[in-house]
Amino acid sequence: MAEHVTLQKKARGERPQYFADPAIDKTLAITLALAGEVAVLRDRIDTIERLAEAGQAPTRAAVDAYRPDATVRAERDAWRDTYLDTVLRIVHQEREELEQRAADTKPYAAVIEEVTQVD
Amino acid sequence: MTATQDLTTQFRHGVLPQTTSDEFSRQEFVKSLKFHLASKVSLGNHDAYEARAKPAYRKATGAEPETYADIRKAMSEDPYFNFWSAMQRNSQEMMWKSVQIPVERQLPDLIAAAGKGGEAAGTLRLNPDLEIPKYHRGVDIHCMPGGYHTEFTADDVANGAVYDTAVYIYAMGRMGPLNSDIGDTTIAWIKENHPEFKPRRILDMGCTVGHSTLSYCDAFPEAEVFGIDVGAPVLRYAHARAQSMGKTVHFSQQNAESTDFEDGYFDLIVSHILVHETSNAAMRRIMKECNRLLTPGGLVVHAETPPYRDLPAYDAFMLDWDTRNNNEPYWGASHELVATEIAAETGFDPAKAFEAYQPSAFEATERRTKVFQGGDFGGGGAWWLWGVQK
Repeated sequence: MAEHVTLQKKARGERPQYFADPAIDKTLAITLALAGEVAVLRDRIDTIERLAEAGQAPTRAAVDAYRPDATVRAERDAWRDTYLDTVLRIVHQEREELEQRAADTKPYAAVIEEVTQVD
Repeated sequence: MTATQDLTTQFRHGVLPQTTSDEFSRQEFVKSLKFHLASKVSLGNHDAYEARAKPAYRKATGAEPETYADIRKAMSEDPYFNFWSAMQRNSQEMMWKSVQIPVERQLPDLIAAAGKGGEAAGTLRLNPDLEIPKYHRGVDIHCMPGGYHTEFTADDVANGAVYDTAVYIYAMGRMGPLNSDIGDTTIAWIKENHPEFKPRRILDMGCTVGHSTLSYCDAFPEAEVFGIDVGAPVLRYAHARAQSMGKTVHFSQQNAESTDFEDGYFDLIVSHILVHETSNAAMRRIMKECNRLLTPGGLVVHAETPPYRDLPAYDAFMLDWDTRNNNEPYWGASHELVATEIAAETGFDPAKAFEAYQPSAFEATERRTKVFQGGDFGGGGAWWLWGVQK
């Protein structure tokens, strides 16, 4: 049972194409994977710092074995959310623009009604 | 429930794959990406629809988009929606990759651990001759490479381990440390609505690794609990997981459309997110089989996400995303099922059919979007239950 087993990597079924040029689909996939690997590296640095702060030698074995507790996981969740705000800036920009445009599609009378309503 | 100290991380039972810190970080990133998309990016689709797609549809057709299919047509060319879809699809593929890495690395150890037995009296019965249904051979459901049934080596548990870890990421932890929210919620509904019900034998159809199955051991300690699935790797893993947690379940490799249990063997038959992974024809055969297997007065309950008719058209459109983007070919049609109609077609009394909503048993309020939408599984805060009493 010691042989290395390779798992299937592609799910059976045609993969949807989201962009006119399939190279864009691939580039987005690579970009998101890279964003993930940056987050992995950042966690690794964070681990090294935390081990050092606790007076432990940040050896490879110690870093590999590190399991963040609930507090550290929550801090990392918050960091990743901000990080994704930064990485996905262009998407959030478009979202904001659409939000403004969607609000503008409301008739003016609806706005009057909104500001005159009492809860 | 098994005692768990930490409700914010997956419970470490005896066969859960180990992760190095990097492997765990990669999985955590996918979870964060999914949550970011669901909570901060997905809502822009509604603005894209109002500001751009709806006016364009109106202009092109002279009519308002009314049904979720109209909205899909209206949104099909929208660049925001397509970019979100592309990211969503990637988050799914990245999820599988992030869990395959540690499983591939330690598969021999997982197989050895699974062979160890454990403290419970559960059993495992495999059938290598079982024909895997067409709806599992056609495409790999929810993009899991190999599906539930593919075996990559002897005594394989790989896709059980892959599925177990991935479900926790997919639901972003909102189904609890044991991924058991759907089972726990179904049980809560049964107990509230049938307080005197004392099933002797319970069958969980399409149990995969037993996420929901094990909850029935605790909820009905007097009952014998059985789980069936078509996939051998998920069943081997389910058996090992249950044994390591001290839960007695009898797992067997069977197709829910036609089992080898005798007539009237069960008082309670349940399924959790099974129905949408079958087909219109299979689902009716499954219900006929339930009719055969149930004792008079017995109950069948299926848990799923809400039918489209219960949702505003836009929400139904967003929930339907999986049908075309996440290898869930029966997702859409399964969300049109009507309990009374199916009951009538499968020999049950339609007057005894039901459809109900039950709030999620697991408390994860702060991370739930309270929306039923593609890529946000477990975020709705409730499950839709349907079935019939015999």
